[in-house]
Parts: sequence; structure tokens; C-alpha cells
Amino acid sequence: MTGSWTAYRKRLLQARRHPLQTVLSVVILALIAWVVWSTATWLVFGADWSVVSENLPLFAVGAYPENERWRPCLWLGLLCLMTATTLLQPLMSARWRISGLALSWCWLAMLPFGLLLLAGGAGLPTVSSRDWGGLTLTVLLTGFSGLLALPLGVLLALGRRSKLTLPRHLCRFYIDGMRAVPLIAVLFFGQLLLPLFLPVDIEINRVLRAVVAFALFAAAYVAEDVRGGLQAIPSTQLEAAAALGLGPWQIQQLVVLPQALRVAVPALTNQAIGLLQNTSLMAILGLVELLGISRSLLANPAYIGRHLETYIWLAGLYWLVCTAMALMARQLERQGPSASTSAIPS
Amino acid sequence: MTITVRAESITKTFNGSQKALDQVNLSVNHGEVLVVMGPSGSGKSTLIRTFNGLEAIDAGQLEIVGIPLDSDQDERQIRRIRRRVGMVFQQFNLFPHLSILDNITLAPIRVRKISKANAEERGRGLLAQMGIADQAMKYPSELSGGQQQRVAIARALAMDPELMLFDEPTSALDPERVKEVLDAMRRLAADGMTMIVVTHELGFAREVADRVLFMDAGRVVELTDSSTFFTQAKEERSRRFLNQMAH
Repeated sequence: MTGSWTAYRKRLLQARRHPLQTVLSVVILALIAWVVWSTATWLVFGADWSVVSENLPLFAVGAYPENERWRPCLWLGLLCLMTATTLLQPLMSARWRISGLALSWCWLAMLPFGLLLLAGGAGLPTVSSRDWGGLTLTVLLTGFSGLLALPLGVLLALGRRSKLTLPRHLCRFYIDGMRAVPLIAVLFFGQLLLPLFLPVDIEINRVLRAVVAFALFAAAYVAEDVRGGLQAIPSTQLEAAAALGLGPWQIQQLVVLPQALRVAVPALTNQAIGLLQNTSLMAILGLVELLGISRSLLANPAYIGRHLETYIWLAGLYWLVCTAMALMARQLERQGPSASTSAIPS
Repeated sequence: MTITVRAESITKTFNGSQKALDQVNLSVNHGEVLVVMGPSGSGKSTLIRTFNGLEAIDAGQLEIVGIPLDSDQDERQIRRIRRRVGMVFQQFNLFPHLSILDNITLAPIRVRKISKANAEERGRGLLAQMGIADQAMKYPSELSGGQQQRVAIARALAMDPELMLFDEPTSALDPERVKEVLDAMRRLAADGMTMIVVTHELGFAREVADRVLFMDAGRVVELTDSSTFFTQAKEERSRRFLNQMAH
């Protein structure tokens, strides 16, 4: 610490030739200090956090029936537990460490389990998806959209590199087309226009429509990220696999994709975080996810003028979830051998 | 005596004009070790890559381990051949995301449908044979070049091939690592494996090869038993090449 402080002092003060620069530095530091101080005092004394503290259950689960609230809360709790377990893996002694594969399966199982808890069935009373909301709905939308978008994106990426003309062009057309359309337009189509086209007696669940719209949209971007990963795999890997007698699908599945996806992890993390934040668009289209529930709270006369508090709280929540996702992705990157060392000619 | 490789006037052209293979005729007997030599660009690698379908031929007829292969590459025929023909590459081409043992057991499990336990037992045996039994759980990037190439040989052998193709297996290695790979290949030859080896290693060729095939500009210049090739090569071109290699 002292070493870096000396270096700072040298750079900031001693090396200055002109006194005006020193004056300027002091003024700017004073300005920053004032902003930090006034923000902190407002956060602690000025702000009225009752809008948050009185509505914590609403932020967590939305309008979910009160006596069934334990179900989404249990799910959120389990997700927090899984996140903590995942992030603490590197610190644990070997005895308590869980294999990456088991952990991945646990994460994967959390999604259908969450759906079962929320929707009911298997002994639990059913709760209509109209009553889902809050952080639970945000996480559910992100999770299922991502889960659908990944395999779809991989297929699109493989199709785009196919030797066959028709699939290649179809995939390219889809990817370019989807990327040319704004997300809000896709969501509008799914939520408002699709029901108009369908016969009156067919009603598709709104949450499902949102998930499908998000997945179709994200798949186009995922496809490009995966394609980037595929291009990083040298053709010699394909030759080596082919020479062993593996078939074309086996080569992709066993040799190419495991390496390509690892290369694509940073870009895919980007997509996942983008997807989480994009789910807030559903607030405009009538789903009461995290942003939606906040908007309806602010419409309540009791909380008039509490915008700043609500949005700061929301920002904090989104930041927390994004950070957890980013940290877990970084851990995923570190797993396994450093890729491609032997694939690149020395 | 069974014939493992038969090539009848095979021809391969790159980019429409440059002849990589020009009317090559060749037959390799079961248990024979053939060394292919020649200056770079002479078509040596292309030749052995046609033997397992990595390169398609434009004309002519091939018969590899009894399976015919011609210019219209039938995918199923090629896969049948590849199951029975092992190949070792210049750059090893191990799968970096798999452990050494998984590299070796991948094809036996997925292609030959051998049980995991059996494949691993055999894999460990092959690693021991290559002198690297203790490296089974490591990843390719943790091994030296010579060790990686020996893993690559073990990976090919795990499919119990009838023919092994070596495409300049020691060219990417440090000089002091070359010997450990050549020794492994020597042992393989002594066990009676049919081998076709593209290499610049004169010592290995002189000592292990039954015959030497000398190529230039896609043509077979000389095909003769190795002692004749190294002492009294018929063709002026081969003698010039040998002279250059000796210096």
C-alpha cells in the first residue's frame, strides 16, 4: 500500500511542473468528495426506504398468492445457495468439492424444479402464470430463454458453416434477419400480435410466449458467438478426429463443440447478462417482473415521488445478479486445461 | 502374402493445374515398412493422406485393407477404412480438452463401441508400452512434444489398426526428443505392424524400412528396397537428394 501511495504522490504532485495543474487536481478532488458526501448523506438520512422495506416480498415474488409465497421464496433461496456453493468451490478443501459436471446438472435441474414450484402440480395447488412476478419471474425468464437459445444458437452456427447450400442460406437468413429486428418488436409480436393470428380458443401462456420470443431473438446472437468459437478450432482437429473413424456428428459433438464453446464463454456471458437486462422490457408489455412490479408500486399513492429510491434499489439488485453470473462464468472459463496449447503448431 | 495398400495410377491435382500426384502406382504388403522420401512439395504427405480419405483422388483406383476407394469418395467406405487405418500427424493433433487417457479411449468407445472399462485398460497398456504410463490423467498441454507424439501413436493403436500412416512424425520435435518417438516406431515395426512413414530421418529409413519410395513433383522416382536405395540408387535425382541430406 505504502509503495503504491508513494508512486501516486510522485505522479500526482511531485512530477507536476505547473502550479495550475496542482490547483486543478485539488479542485477536482474536492468536487468528487462533495458529490460522494452528499450522495452518502442522502442515502442514509435523506432517502425514505419504506418503499423498499415494506415491499420486499413483492419485489421477490410479485403478486403471488400470499399463503403460497414460500414456493418462489424457496426457489430463490436454493438459487442463492447454489450460487454461493459454486462461487466458493475454489476455496473449499478437496473433500467438500463437487465435480463441475454434478454442479452443472444441479443448475440445469433448478429450472424445471423452479417451474414446478411456481406453477404447481404434483400435490401443490396450481398458481396461474398471471400471478408470477418480481425477481422470481425475471430469473425464470432469463433462465429458460437462455436454456432454449443456447442449443438453438449452436444449431444455427453449425448450419451456417454447413457444406449444404440450403441449410447454410436458411441459417444465414435467419441470423441476419433476427439481428435486423429490434428486440421490442419481436416481443410485441409475441405478446400482442400472435394472439390475434391464433384462433380464439387457443391461448398460449404469456410467460411461455415471452420465453420463446427471447429465445428466438437471443439464438441469433448466440449463433454468431458460437461461430466465432468454431472458427478458432483448427481444421487439424477435425482431421485427427476423422482419421480415427468418428462420424461428422460425433466430430462436432465430441471434439469441435466442447472446444468452441469454451472459447465462446466470455461472449456467451455477455449475452446472458444482456438477456437478463432485456427481460425488463416485458414491463412495458404487461409482465410484472422486477421492473414491472416497481412501476406498479410507484403508481401507488402511498409511494408517490419515491422513484429515486426504487430505481437505486433495482439497480443494486440487477448489479448483484449480473455480478454473480459474471463471477460464475469466470470460474467456468478457468475450469479444465488451458485450451488449444497443443492444437497450435509450436 | 496379403496386400494392405494397392494404388493404381492415382492422380491428384490442386487448384486445377498443380499436380500433387501423377499416375502413382504402389503396393504395400502386410507387415511391410515403407518409408516415403522426397523434397518438400513432392506429394509425399498428399499420397498417404489419400490412403485414409483425408484427400480425395481425382483419378485412379485405391484398395486399402481390402476396401476399394476411387475418385467419388463414398463416405461409408472411407469410414470403414479409417476404423482400420491409424494415422499420426506432424503436429500430434491431440484433443486439448481431453485428458491423455480420454484422447486414447475416445474412438474405441465411440466408434468400436468398446466398454469404457475395457478401453481404459487397453489405453493404459498402450501408454505403458509407449513409456508414459504416468501421464494418463494429464492434459496434452502439460506434456512435451515427444510425449504428445507418443500419445498420438497410442491413440491410433487403440483402434487396433491393420495399417499405420505416419506423416512426418518427428519434424515438429526438438532434436533430443526425436529419438524417443523413433524408438517407439521401431518397436512397432519389430512387432510386425504394416507402416507407411513419410520422414526425413535417414537413419530410421536405413535401419527399419523394408523399401523406400522416393518421390519428386508428384511422381514416383524410385521404389526399391532400402539397402539398394542408400547404397546404389538408380536415379540421378535420388542420389542428388541423398547427397544433400547427408550434408
